[in-house]
Amino acid sequence: MNRLAGFLLATSVVAVLFGPPLYAVWAAAIAIVAAWILDPPALRAGLRVGAILAIVFAASITAGVVAWAAGPQRGIETGGMVMLRLLVLTVGAAVLVRSVNAETLLRMTRKIGMERLGLVLGLALNSLPRLAEAAADVWTASRVRSDGAVARLRRLPGVGEVLLSHTARIAEEAAAAASLRGHSALTRPGNTLRSPVRVVVVTGPSNSGKTEVVTTVAGQLQSVGVDVVGFVQPGELLEGKKVGFRLRDLASGQEAPLASLSERDDGDFGTRFQFSDGGFRLGREALSRTAPDSVVIIDELGPIELRGQGHMPAVRKALAVADLGGAMIVVRRSLVPSLLAELDASDAVVIDVESEGGRSVDVIIDALGARILVG
Amino acid sequence: MKDARPWTYAALFGTLWGAIEATLGTAVHLGKLPLRGTIMGLAGLLCLICLRRLQPRAGVCLLAGVVAVFLKIFTLGGLYPGPIIGICIQALALEVALTGTGGRAIGAAIGGFVALATNPLQKLVTMWVVTGTEAVRSYLRLLQESAAAVGLEGLNPTVIITTVATATGAVGAAGGLWAWWVAGRVMRRLGKRS
Repeated sequence: MNRLAGFLLATSVVAVLFGPPLYAVWAAAIAIVAAWILDPPALRAGLRVGAILAIVFAASITAGVVAWAAGPQRGIETGGMVMLRLLVLTVGAAVLVRSVNAETLLRMTRKIGMERLGLVLGLALNSLPRLAEAAADVWTASRVRSDGAVARLRRLPGVGEVLLSHTARIAEEAAAAASLRGHSALTRPGNTLRSPVRVVVVTGPSNSGKTEVVTTVAGQLQSVGVDVVGFVQPGELLEGKKVGFRLRDLASGQEAPLASLSERDDGDFGTRFQFSDGGFRLGREALSRTAPDSVVIIDELGPIELRGQGHMPAVRKALAVADLGGAMIVVRRSLVPSLLAELDASDAVVIDVESEGGRSVDVIIDALGARILVG
Repeated sequence: MKDARPWTYAALFGTLWGAIEATLGTAVHLGKLPLRGTIMGLAGLLCLICLRRLQPRAGVCLLAGVVAVFLKIFTLGGLYPGPIIGICIQALALEVALTGTGGRAIGAAIGGFVALATNPLQKLVTMWVVTGTEAVRSYLRLLQESAAAVGLEGLNPTVIITTVATATGAVGAAGGLWAWWVAGRVMRRLGKRS
């Protein structure tokens, strides 16, 4: 359905740009329906009152000029055509802008052997909010320092100069981040994850048994009366290949499907997997039980969460609970630097289950701290 | 690990340029403000020349252009060919001019001239795609009538467009030198030798 809607939207854009006027009316209607099927929030964002007014204004100006040169009839026709074209282009751009993120770009450019370009474009996307913030600060400072519009206008070159300096400073910071944490750091947006307790970060290569280790740790803690909340995400294998994930609530034992491999490579969040709302809902429920002295276990946080999506809002809430007993987060090795960069915890320790081997469970329990064992 | 600064600078200055194009550019184009191409061209010159003075490496202007096009594509204005062509020409002109002159001020002036002189042509291409042949004819007639109103009757539209292109090119050359001067101030502000 989504693929058909995408095709119809693309066809509408072509038809409205190059087709005769009659096609443009149909193209506009089809584009709106297709965008609504594909991404209703994008359609709402694209067709804001301001955007519609701007389209009407631009079409009216064109209609006026053509009416003056070729008569009122031609003016109305051309103005109508311009309005339809702008409408379809707005809808198309709104859907396009929400379907691209840094991770998707990196994956796409890797496929064509241009990873650096992907990193640069990813950095461009991620730095937009920071630049906007800098621009707003510079503008506010200029307004405070100048009386009236004329004075503000005089200060405009200075405002540009300061903004360019800020841009250079952000570029320096990004370069430093790339040097410290690897170039992949450039694609990660900042999502500070606050935790009042030590966070035990469990990592290891794919299929190294991270989930089994974490499940064993949870079981041992529960057996001595520790309140364990959170979830694990065991993978679903088919002929040795990972085809999906389930989410298991550690407190209730309840399970729900979380993700399944997309056959058509049109997964959610720019991944190969399609995610289910039920899985995220169960994850939220599991984390909502967090109370003082609970040990929070999160298996696992991936690129989606490090972009602030998926489980991340629920994780943030859970880790913010006062007097937590402990916190354990599972991430793949490549994401450890990004997670550590975003953690604002009192303490953190990284445990690699491959390096620790059979001692992993004991090492994790030790790392979580004696307070839990007493509890 | 290699120095990532040329990449991050190109990304950030391209982002700034793309963001200006996507916000201010879209607003001035939809509002049909006069001299909109020149205003946006000067903004681009400022970003590119500043970038090139801060990171004097061949290719940074082109990369910043790619980033700006990428950001522009995701906006209403980005789906017209005119601004996209404009950004590409501007990045290419500055890259060639500054590399060819060894990163000197004269390169900024030449690049600025070429970048802004092509504006009237971009305008015609955009108009043809967005509004069709009728609007282009009306626009050319409007140019002729305007020229006639100031006593230049019977002028060919090509002559008018060439004159306009030369005039905007001259503004571009001056803008390039101004951007060079601003970039020097930015460098001093950042504690770099200009």
